[in-house]
Amino acid sequence: MTDRKFYSRYVGGELLISIVYDIKRVVIPILVQFTNHFTVIHHEDHGIFLEDTIWFQEEGGRILFSTITSGTVCGISSCLVQVEVDLSKGLPCFQMVGLLSSEVREARERVRVALKNSGITLPPMCINVNLSPADLRKEGTMLDLPVAVGILTCLGRLSKESTQRTVLLGELGLNGEIKPVRGVLPIVAKAKESGMRRCILPCDNAMEGAVVGDIEIIGVASVTETVAYLQGLEKGEEGLIEPKQIDVRSLWKERDGDRTPDFADISGQETVKRAAEVAAAGFHHLLMIGPPGSGKTMLAKRIPSILPPLSLQESLEVSTVYSVSGLLRSSGEVLITRRPFLNPHHTITSQALAGGGRVPVPGIISLSHRGVLFLDELPEFRRETLDILRQPLEDRLIQIARSSGVYTFPADFMLVGAMNPCPCGHYPDMARCRCAPYEVRRYLGRVSGPILDRIDICVEVEALRFRDMIEKPAGESSAQIRERVLAARKMQSDRFAGTKLRFNTDMGVADVEKYCRLEEKERNYMERMFSVMRLSARGYHRILKVARTIADLEGSTGIREEHLAEAICYRYNGGQDI
Amino acid sequence: MTDEQIEKAYVHWLYQAAGMGSRGFLRGLEQFGTAQIIYDTARKERLEAKVSARYQDKARRLQALAKSSEIKGILEEYERILSRGISFVTVKEASYPRKLAQIGDAPYGLYYAGRLPVDEGRSIAVIGARNCTEYGRYMAKEFGTVLAQAGVQIISGMARGIDGIGQRAALYAGGYSLGVLGCGVDVCYPRENREVYEQLLVKGGVCSEYPPGMEPRAVLFPPRNRIISGLCDGVLVIEAKGRSGTLITVDMALEQGREVYAVPGRATDALSEGCNRLIRQGAQLVMSPEELLEDLQAGLTGYMDQSVISRQPILHLSGVRDKVFKILDFQPQSMERLQEAYKKAYGDSIAVPKLCYELLQLYAEGYAGQADGKYYFKKE
Repeated sequence: MTDRKFYSRYVGGELLISIVYDIKRVVIPILVQFTNHFTVIHHEDHGIFLEDTIWFQEEGGRILFSTITSGTVCGISSCLVQVEVDLSKGLPCFQMVGLLSSEVREARERVRVALKNSGITLPPMCINVNLSPADLRKEGTMLDLPVAVGILTCLGRLSKESTQRTVLLGELGLNGEIKPVRGVLPIVAKAKESGMRRCILPCDNAMEGAVVGDIEIIGVASVTETVAYLQGLEKGEEGLIEPKQIDVRSLWKERDGDRTPDFADISGQETVKRAAEVAAAGFHHLLMIGPPGSGKTMLAKRIPSILPPLSLQESLEVSTVYSVSGLLRSSGEVLITRRPFLNPHHTITSQALAGGGRVPVPGIISLSHRGVLFLDELPEFRRETLDILRQPLEDRLIQIARSSGVYTFPADFMLVGAMNPCPCGHYPDMARCRCAPYEVRRYLGRVSGPILDRIDICVEVEALRFRDMIEKPAGESSAQIRERVLAARKMQSDRFAGTKLRFNTDMGVADVEKYCRLEEKERNYMERMFSVMRLSARGYHRILKVARTIADLEGSTGIREEHLAEAICYRYNGGQDI
Repeated sequence: MTDEQIEKAYVHWLYQAAGMGSRGFLRGLEQFGTAQIIYDTARKERLEAKVSARYQDKARRLQALAKSSEIKGILEEYERILSRGISFVTVKEASYPRKLAQIGDAPYGLYYAGRLPVDEGRSIAVIGARNCTEYGRYMAKEFGTVLAQAGVQIISGMARGIDGIGQRAALYAGGYSLGVLGCGVDVCYPRENREVYEQLLVKGGVCSEYPPGMEPRAVLFPPRNRIISGLCDGVLVIEAKGRSGTLITVDMALEQGREVYAVPGRATDALSEGCNRLIRQGAQLVMSPEELLEDLQAGLTGYMDQSVISRQPILHLSGVRDKVFKILDFQPQSMERLQEAYKKAYGDSIAVPKLCYELLQLYAEGYAGQADGKYYFKKE
């Protein structure tokens, strides 16, 4: 009697079982006793006997258990999750275990209704879902689809073979559609790493998954489509849905009508532009001090345009951060191909800046990874918020400790700060400045010393005069500046070949000794300046690093006095000379 | 304790009891003759009947205080301030500064620490804006130094800006300076002038008409300006805005028949507006301390060091460094502006590294100064 199929449903509190022979459908009532098993009325005609409760086992073997592979993100990293589904006799229930956050726990409601609306009714059984590894906290809605497919596999609607070496991700809508989720990029990358063959993703996320390459990406729009696709696989119909493919290089091509801010828009301000160029060449942090309306924000927005373009490796890093933050989708991009520029308001909280939440999500500093973090009105930021930056400025990553573990996010950004010289903004133009000296000092003092100390390049921005705006010819274009920056970067990558270092700013004290060796003449010059400018040891090393970058920009192998002088001029010096 | 000292103890009690803003009230009390009589009258509650209607409240307060103060306590309190190194002098004594005694409303009593200026010497008040420019800073320092070296006593209010800078320069030059405070002489205000205050106690003096311990209040400052001008022969205004507190001192000085000197500035500078206006109104224009000394005819004998008279800086600059030095100004300028000025002056532009290099050299050699951040100015 292998051609029988059983269906069950409740009608008015009574469980009905339908037995379908080839074409004939017979409905039999079943008495439900609230013990741990069903009692079925004796119905010999249909091959059902009294207390014949294990009707699915009739087909032989343990097919009431299935395992589906999915994934979740944990911090910035991702890991694969096994979705284990078991159907067993007992009170009808639907339980999910495995250290779930509430959005994962809610999956059972979505799955139940989505399946029902796709024409599949869950059997009145005890459904247990375990997400393994069970000690890892599961976040996100991407586990809806694998749970649904797991149940369908248990029910025998899908074969276990069809989901082998396949990762499934997707959020279910109540109508059975599959909605996009966050974190696709790192999970797909992880799947590829773990030797998976195929990923079934929401069709809105398919392009994002496709950038990983060398793994089959199937975009699906609904449960029905997924079932049809998987059933097609069983039958050997491979090409039911065409795997998504993408030429990653095409993403870098400049799109038509794409106008990014350009340095050519800024007239005058030569010294600031020069400082920005040096900062970009060595990936040094930059601080601009100047009165309101002098174009500090305008300058900062143009800095990404002179930084070298993102490499594929960098782009994947950045896109991963954006993917787990759920921002990749909203940016409308498949991959982040431009350097990020983030400009948080000064009322930002420490959590928003560093990354927060019980299980932290990346903060602004991680979203500006490999890009520019612009902090306008630096002294207006809360001191404790700014102090968060100390670790990222030094280590280029941030660690957030929670009871569930320590999360590490990348935070390799270029800090560009802007501030007024005093509360009214006109200092040191004493004819216009209305601030008392202690107010000026207090204003500058609001930015903690350790932060200022980590900013290698500090430059004054002058208020723009009307004459400058109409008379001055347009400046150099970003492309021209970028060429010089690229040449300087080339020198750095040649010099640091075979080491972990990438830019001059990455050099530690020992590296400075090694790569910034001074000749006799320059050493004497530095010695003199050390005492004249009252430099600290840390200041000395930072000056050497900047001088190295300036020399690189000039294509000079040795550091000369002029390079040192310019670097000293860029050093922040809050003290007044009487 | 002599009778004189006992009387001074009563005056000190009266100054403390009357509280601030009581100049008119205290003047009214002079009719009684001595402070002791005032104390006795107040203790018997007869003071109220003898003062004008305006001061009834104050008289009543004084009576209440007199009733609660014992003679012993008054004397002990006076001895306590003396033991802290604070002296008290009344207008009736010979040690009271003669110049000050001559002005219309000279304070009856004057507290001081350190020493008071000598009557025979010349005194100049160096005053000006609190928020001064680099130019004002330079001028105050220059005048303070040279005048002090010539033996002129520098009187000022120890305020932020010009006052403090002039006094500090005078002390550094080894001269005498007196700070006239708007608070008790044991209170250092403003706090950032702590160093000047400490130096004044050792090398010069601080004085005040307010009793020790009095905290600075805005109302206390204008009256002390009359003491500044009263103590000196002339008032030198270095920098002042169009409406400046400095001009109050100048008004007082004119009332008291003191000479007024002013350092000119550019017509467009807000901080020179006051000075330029004073010159227009007839104040003496002085461009260098030597001119002022000539006018004062002060102690050109004795202290005067001939070398200070011709102090043309000897510059050994040439080439680009000289060119960069020539575009520097007393007003701090950013590199952006300097770069522009260079181009304007010489036609060719100077690259940032070169400019940095020359500026730092000038700085290291003491020809240039660096104001907050990267603003450079000329120093000689």
